[in-house]
Amino acid sequence: METPASKLVVRNLRKAFRSQRSEESVQVFEDISLEVHPSEFISLVGPSGCGKTTFLRILDGLISHDDGEILLDGKTVIKPGPDKGFVFQDSSLLPWRTVMDNVILGLELQGVDTREARRKAGGYISLVGLAGFENHYPHELSGGMQQRVNLARALIVDPQVLLMDEPFASLDAQTREIMQAELLKMWNQTRKTVIFVTHQIEEAIFLSDRVVVFSARPATIREIVKVSIPRPRSLSVKRTKEFLDLADRVWSIIQDEVLKSMGREREEGMR
Amino acid sequence: MKTVAKAEPRVPAWARSSRMIAIYSVVVGIGIWQLAYEGLARTPYFEAYAIQHFLASPLQVIETFGELYRSGELFRHSYFSLLEFAYGFVLSVVVGIPVGFLMATQKKINTCLDPWVSCIYATPRVALAPIIIVWFGLGIFPNALIVFLGAVFPILLNTYTGIKSVRQNLIELVRAFGGSPLQVFFKVMIPDATPAIIAGLRLAVGRAVIGVVVAEWFGAEAGLGYMVYFYSQLFQPGPVFVGIVVLVVFGILSFIALDKVQGWISPWYAYQVRREVHGMEME
Ligand SMILES: Nc1ncnc2c1ncn2[C@@H]1O[C@H](COP(=O)(O)OP(=O)(O)OP(=O)(O)O)[C@@H](O)[C@H]1O
Ligand SMILES: [Mg+2]
Repeated sequence: METPASKLVVRNLRKAFRSQRSEESVQVFEDISLEVHPSEFISLVGPSGCGKTTFLRILDGLISHDDGEILLDGKTVIKPGPDKGFVFQDSSLLPWRTVMDNVILGLELQGVDTREARRKAGGYISLVGLAGFENHYPHELSGGMQQRVNLARALIVDPQVLLMDEPFASLDAQTREIMQAELLKMWNQTRKTVIFVTHQIEEAIFLSDRVVVFSARPATIREIVKVSIPRPRSLSVKRTKEFLDLADRVWSIIQDEVLKSMGREREEGMR
Repeated sequence: MKTVAKAEPRVPAWARSSRMIAIYSVVVGIGIWQLAYEGLARTPYFEAYAIQHFLASPLQVIETFGELYRSGELFRHSYFSLLEFAYGFVLSVVVGIPVGFLMATQKKINTCLDPWVSCIYATPRVALAPIIIVWFGLGIFPNALIVFLGAVFPILLNTYTGIKSVRQNLIELVRAFGGSPLQVFFKVMIPDATPAIIAGLRLAVGRAVIGVVVAEWFGAEAGLGYMVYFYSQLFQPGPVFVGIVVLVVFGILSFIALDKVQGWISPWYAYQVRREVHGMEME
């Protein structure tokens, strides 16, 4: 049995994608082990294509893995479900549904009565700052607003763990900062366990308790950087020396990995 | 601020809307037709070429319409055609949507059916109509079959494309939140494919109307197509034009009805239209 101190445990995870046409297979994860505490905010960074999205999809149970185990609250993860909330990179809202009906999707899929689900959704829509937009369609919203819906949709199922795949990647710099601050505020209120994938080192450090740096493919965990900047954090911590030093450190690790992966890609390209 | 008051427009706003302009255009067109006919009737050519056997004026068409209506003949023909249309169209929907769906989702079914669909779709119905009449005789059902052959393919093919182009990220979304395959089907595939399917229905309406006329030319004892053909053989242009007008009005009404259905089940459609699939073959 797991110690209750760990919310999510990943042990010796391996995964390869086999292509249908050729014999070749792409080894994505060599051997990944990670323990996440309850209410911990973890960020995942690493070179592009190293397998961050794949990692989240495996954690959610959307795709299978080859070896190793994943335990959520001590139970093996086999399929997606309401114990996990997924926030997609592109907001993936259903265009034929209003904000309200997009937010209740998860509850609806569990068979919760629509009226009750809508009542519950009101609170989450306010939480993400979209009160008054319940009856708007996604195409009537800005990118930032769509991402808020995306977030509310994941929060409403009250998941044990929130998996977020570059949720702010498509936003402009200002909106992004605002959303980061809002996310922290919401996290303070809900205290969910969060796994947050991002390309932006600043963002990772600002949000997280720990930053996990993946190596280039086949990915292993290259390093785990602890962020001990006290909370609540305001945007101004981004200019403190402690913050900038951390960012430098993470940056230099990733740079190494990016150079490695680019080198390998070039080799593969020449073959 | 300008000091000079703008002259009040003499025509009120509603009378200048694009819908009204469209109506004026039609009215003027019909007026020109009427005047041209009157003019022609005053020339010696009218008698010489027996033009009254080839052309009718709008007023004559209206008059003939009244006569055919009162005698019950128009109703009989319209009813017959409407039944053919309805049977054929409903059958097309009932067959086209499920088969299109199966072909889009089951590779084996697609491989088996694709050559058949391509061949039958490519065969001109005008070529198939006589043989169907020979096999099944005169009546509503063989004619409905011809209507079906025309209408089923746009529905089938658009359903196929619609289902094929359902966005994968939306499917993944529903799966990520624990949706079952059945929920994926009803909550993503059907709604995402709906605009394409409705576009197919619109195409099918036009082809079904053509199917009605073609079927009745080759063999029928009633129907609007039959009526058009019959009176043209008698050199009576009045009923011919009445038949054409009724068919056109029927086609237009069906289009409007489908637009309403579309607006009703997919208010997001204006946004969807930008997706490429719906550019296919329309209008
Ligand atoms: N369904 C799949 N089939 C085959 N290979 C895949 C599949 N999904 C991902 N891959 C491969 O697995 C590797 C990791 O992909 P993944 O999308 O997880 O990377 P990522 O770290 O999220 O990249 P990015 O930072 O660019 O989003 C890539 O090399 C990709 O080509
Ligand atoms: Mg990714």
